[in-house]
Amino acid sequence: MTSTIKAADAASAGDAAGREIVRPKLTFGQRLSWFDVKASPYAYISPFFLLFGLLGLFPLVYTFVVSLHEWELLQGQGDFIGLENFATTLQDRFFWNSIFNTLSIFVLSTVPQITMAVILAAILDHNLKGKTFWRMSVLLPYVVTPVAVALIFSNIFQEQSGLANNLLGVFGIEPIEWKRETWASHVAIATMVNWRWTGYNALILLAAMQAVPRDLHESAAIDGAGGIRRFFSITIPSIRPTLIFVIITATIGGLQIFAEPRLFDVSTAGGVGGSDRQFQTTVLYLWEMAFFRQDFGRASAIAWLLFLLIVGIGLINFLISKQIASAEGRALNKKTARMLAKREGVSA
Amino acid sequence: MTTFGTMGFEELYEQYESENPNITIEANNIDTGGNARTDTFTKLAAGSGLSDVVAIEEGWLGSIMEVSDQFSDLRDFDMEERQGDWLDWKVEQVTDPDGRIIGYGTDIGPAGLCYNAPAFQAAGLPTDRAAVAELLGGDDASWERFFEIGRQYKQATGKAWYDHNGFVWNSMVNQLEEGYYTADGELNVEDNAELQERFGWIADASADGLSAAQTAWDWNGGQAFTDQTFATFVCPGWMLGVVQGQLEAGGGGPETGWDFADVFPGGSVNWGGSWLTVPTTSEHPEEAAALASWLTQPEQQLAAFEAAGAFPSTTEAQEELAANPTPNPVFNDAPIGEILVDRSQGVVAQFKGPDDSLIQENVFGPPLQKLERGEATEEQAWQEALTLLNDLVG
Repeated sequence: MTSTIKAADAASAGDAAGREIVRPKLTFGQRLSWFDVKASPYAYISPFFLLFGLLGLFPLVYTFVVSLHEWELLQGQGDFIGLENFATTLQDRFFWNSIFNTLSIFVLSTVPQITMAVILAAILDHNLKGKTFWRMSVLLPYVVTPVAVALIFSNIFQEQSGLANNLLGVFGIEPIEWKRETWASHVAIATMVNWRWTGYNALILLAAMQAVPRDLHESAAIDGAGGIRRFFSITIPSIRPTLIFVIITATIGGLQIFAEPRLFDVSTAGGVGGSDRQFQTTVLYLWEMAFFRQDFGRASAIAWLLFLLIVGIGLINFLISKQIASAEGRALNKKTARMLAKREGVSA
Repeated sequence: MTTFGTMGFEELYEQYESENPNITIEANNIDTGGNARTDTFTKLAAGSGLSDVVAIEEGWLGSIMEVSDQFSDLRDFDMEERQGDWLDWKVEQVTDPDGRIIGYGTDIGPAGLCYNAPAFQAAGLPTDRAAVAELLGGDDASWERFFEIGRQYKQATGKAWYDHNGFVWNSMVNQLEEGYYTADGELNVEDNAELQERFGWIADASADGLSAAQTAWDWNGGQAFTDQTFATFVCPGWMLGVVQGQLEAGGGGPETGWDFADVFPGGSVNWGGSWLTVPTTSEHPEEAAALASWLTQPEQQLAAFEAAGAFPSTTEAQEELAANPTPNPVFNDAPIGEILVDRSQGVVAQFKGPDDSLIQENVFGPPLQKLERGEATEEQAWQEALTLLNDLVG
């Protein structure tokens, strides 16, 4: 009896072993390497998240806390007032003025900047003589700090004897009041931004263009596609991810413009962006609120509203730029389909 | 050690370092008072980063006095013995309600009138500085008189009389017993007949084209001082250093013919002035106070005056200036020390509220500019000032 039972037991045990995966006891070394494979990737990327938590998330949350209080620059924390700072800010004409200025400068800088960058990159992508020289020259403005750029350009746009007005004078054009007229000042500031960032973006786009397989171009060329056609149908769709990256970083940068308007006219009205705030961007208004008017609570509310605005515009941007490339792709597909259909018809 | 503008301390630092071998001075000078204000406020708010000695200016003293506990009480050092060195009001301004004294006074801002002699000559006006003082009314000089001569000048030459509205307005406001705030700290702008009357004078002068509508602190890169864009300029003592700097920037010098007259429209005025403070965050408060105290001794104040025109706030240094007038080569050898001593008679500084500099720059700045550019009538400009006041301060 005992033996049969034992045998049955052994059989069932054997069956179980057969069905289930055998898990031999792991040695310490094996465990360690298992842990290594599973956990190390997280450890490797954790510095970013730790730093982001410390330098990104914490300030973000803390700013929100500040925005819910009356908070003076020098005296510090006051009473809790809920969302009142946000309400005041949303009814503040200077806030909306700064939003308008920011968007206007943003459009005036981002659109020409990226267009120029794509064109420059396309030119640099050709086999130029001394290409390293050209590529380095394009990046040169980026090396100059924004402060220096702002100082140089604010001199160029000096109203009475600046370079820009002197040049206009050569062509008999009346001097422009760069630091007083809203549009002129926006153009001037956008010029600084463009001067600095176009080359940088061009190089990033160039890198992406170089990664486009040459045989795609070659076969398209054999099929009779011209340079421009290849540019729009092959290059642009291929660099789509990079283009999106460039557009989004340019958007974030464009909405955070500070140094340029701050230093464009340092002496008028305490440097808050023109006598009538003609070129006061939102970040500059934030600065005015925090360090000039010393209202930290409202400054924090402005910071948060700006954050939301950037996220919002970034999203819209993302959707549109996704459309650009995929619409291009669809159009191509339709055309190819038609062409293929035609050919089939001919051959039949 | 953080200072701003032209305070004339550079050579004094070297002297102090050589006399006190264990002290090293790291001097940091900020270009304008406005930027120094931002720098100081930011560091105060952050609770760190302030120098051992920080210079503060009258325009933003109001905000500083609200947090006076962040600055050392200098009575813990040598203030009690030195208190009598200064004009009484210079010490009172930096005394908080608890009686703590937080600053060693450096300069004060009595003002005379800078004028361009060749420009005066071109208009057939007298050029001698005594005659100019007489022309503008001497001891009874008034703003009406100042603008009246300005109209004559404008008619004769077609050029502007003074550089821009902002500075003239500042002078007028500083002349009043109470400015943007009453002495007990209440806002004092709306329905302030004195202010409104002066605003009207400026509006009329602007309408007659007396203002050159210059950008302050820029003056077309200093050129406006060298090409007779305007003929007169309001000059508190410390402003003489600024004029000198602007002349250099604009490529000019004594030959441009600037002079300094012992007269000021509307009577004597105090515009500006600074103190040296020792923030409580300082790790070497004793050494810092010793340095600040030394820099504001009468002897050193005289040296700073020589270097930058900063008019001394100690009575002893003022007496010295009056007794030994020295000609200033930049201003046609005018004895500026003696003149300023004269101009400082009866001067008392006005109470400055917490938002004084904001009101000056951002409430009255834009409408005054609109006036001189002919973009607004007096009524519109005054209304705009009130609206701005309501939006920014109210």
